[in-house]
Amino acid sequence: MENLIIKANGLSKIYNKDANGEVAALRNVSLDIRKGELIAIMGASGSGKSTLMNLLGCLDKPSAGTLLFDDVEVSKLGDRELALLRNKKIGFVFQSYNLLARTSALENVELPLIYSDKVNISKLAKDALDAVGLADRIHHHPGELSGGQQQRVAIARALVNDPDIIFADEPTGNLDTKSSYEIITLFQKLNEEGRTIVLVTHEQDIAEHTKRIIKISDGRIVSDELNNSPKNAESELNKILKEVQNEN
Amino acid sequence: MKTKRIILNALKNLAKYKLRSFLMMIGIVIGIVALTMVISVGLGAKNLVMERVKKFGLESLMVRAGAGSLMGQQSSPGQQITTLTLEDAEYLKHEIGSIKEIAPFNSKGNSNISYFEKSTTALLLGATPSWAYVWNWDVSDGEFITDEDMTSLNRICLIGPTVRKELFGENNPIGEQIQIGNVQFEIKGILVSKGSSPGGGDMDNRIMIPLSTFMRRVANVDYLAGIKILLNSSAGINKTSEEINSLLRERHKLADGIPDDFAVITPTEVTKMAEKIAGTFNLFLVLLAGISLITGGVVVANIMFISVNERKKEIGLRKAVGANTKDIMNQFLFESSAVTLMGGLVGIILGAVGAKILNLIMQMPISISWGSILIGVISSTIIGVIAGMQPARRAAKLQPIETLR
Ligand SMILES: Nc1ncnc2c1ncn2[C@@H]1O[C@H](COP(=O)(O)OP(=O)(O)OP(=O)(O)O)[C@@H](O)[C@H]1O
Ligand SMILES: [Mg+2]
Repeated sequence: MENLIIKANGLSKIYNKDANGEVAALRNVSLDIRKGELIAIMGASGSGKSTLMNLLGCLDKPSAGTLLFDDVEVSKLGDRELALLRNKKIGFVFQSYNLLARTSALENVELPLIYSDKVNISKLAKDALDAVGLADRIHHHPGELSGGQQQRVAIARALVNDPDIIFADEPTGNLDTKSSYEIITLFQKLNEEGRTIVLVTHEQDIAEHTKRIIKISDGRIVSDELNNSPKNAESELNKILKEVQNEN
Repeated sequence: MKTKRIILNALKNLAKYKLRSFLMMIGIVIGIVALTMVISVGLGAKNLVMERVKKFGLESLMVRAGAGSLMGQQSSPGQQITTLTLEDAEYLKHEIGSIKEIAPFNSKGNSNISYFEKSTTALLLGATPSWAYVWNWDVSDGEFITDEDMTSLNRICLIGPTVRKELFGENNPIGEQIQIGNVQFEIKGILVSKGSSPGGGDMDNRIMIPLSTFMRRVANVDYLAGIKILLNSSAGINKTSEEINSLLRERHKLADGIPDDFAVITPTEVTKMAEKIAGTFNLFLVLLAGISLITGGVVVANIMFISVNERKKEIGLRKAVGANTKDIMNQFLFESSAVTLMGGLVGIILGAVGAKILNLIMQMPISISWGSILIGVISSTIIGVIAGMQPARRAAKLQPIETLR
């Protein structure tokens, strides 16, 4: 298929745990991701969401199964090619932001560009920060930013190399409602611009803002449904902002 | 482009963790300071030796009365060797083609010299007019000893700068009468300053009179203390030395088995003696500097390991956003070698300052050369690369997934 980005076939992940023996975190998961999709992966804690994301994002290797990224089998890639793939085609957003301490927002966003062949990296980083609404915070360090702002820096970092797909593992997990809506608004906007986004969430409400909801339980996909009427995060955000104003 | 950015990034990291970088630097600084000082002092001593040997002359030989000794003292004090004569000197010059000129001399240490109420002691030398040429040692003021002085047994003398300072200060001594022992001499000239002898003695504390005057009027002897010999070239110097040896043995009628009653001293022997006195390269100190440098390297390696452990998340993140194994490896190697290079540069500067202080306070000869700076730069960088190698490998092996836990 022409606009297929990822084709996962029978992915399994078995962790060798201490005395308890092995843990099958993922069992025989098959999945296609197409260009332009906005997907939510849901499931209980320990169901294998992060494990799946890490495999799809080429950060970890499956115990069994194959992963095709742009028709290339990821397990066959060498160290350099794999790094290149992560650098050029994948953006990753973590629940705990994973920003470098004592490092400005700008330099955090420049990080992927260091390893790219791009020139004028601070201009690109500034543009990405502008796109997440942080143009006025580029010289702030993570400690000087709110959780929502830090996560937006992380999203700018995931965006900056213009990747084919962005993975976000519980991007709103540590955020309050307002900041969560801001982040989801941002993802919806990015998706409208044509970016493919996969995010993990615990919350049904967040998932309802996506176009496709995959539920996993005990390492297996238990449902995979399209959502034809995703909610609009921006209008909800405005509602919240109005409520705050009325209270004051 | 990428490498440049990784280097820049590594430098920024060092600036971010100032205390850690500082601690890593200290060990290297100490090691390089020690190394720089040892090398500076060693080279200084070596230069001094070279300078002193040059004073003796690379195309020169010296025949001394008495065996076994190098310069100065007779083999057994008190027992004068009386066999080396002016005739020996003339004979050698006549017989050996490679000899250009000779300067026979006699001397008397610690001679009393006085000028009115001032007095001092100096080495009294009886020398010929050829001395100036053979030793390249003329007068800076006045006139040297002439043939006429020799034949007339003139009571004239040349004084070294030290004697001049002792007796006359800044006043002009030429034409003045001084007492050597209890004989009166007229000062004819001031000798050029020669500084220290190969043995470290003051070559300016001497007073020179015609050899004939010395032998007949002062000491009343018919033998020499030595003959300085200038050759046509330094080639074949050992052969000439042997030739002199056999000719003198013949003339002195020394049967086989009887030891020489003279010594032929070559520049090589002068070098050896000067090195012994100057103490050139002290292997022990070099070793000590090396050990402190290695200790510094171990400190760097340890702190780098700690750094890698603390920064696992950062490393995982870098890999997650596209750094490959070699990029991470390079980053940590740059970090460690940049720290040690900086430590090295600081160490070179402090070491040079330290060497200068030794020079000023203890009058040690030093030499701060590009060579020693280069050795400091190269050894500190190499230490950094070696110390950073294992930590960098460990960092590079980390998986991006480390970030997520
Ligand atoms: N590195 C690991 N070693 C051993 N077991 C692991 C490891 N990572 C995850 N697991 C196990 O695999 C299973 C799935 O973990 P995973 O992190 O994918 O769950 P999750 O759905 O993301 O949970 P959460 O919502 O709490 O983040 C869990 O039972 C977990 O304990
Ligand atoms: Mg998880």
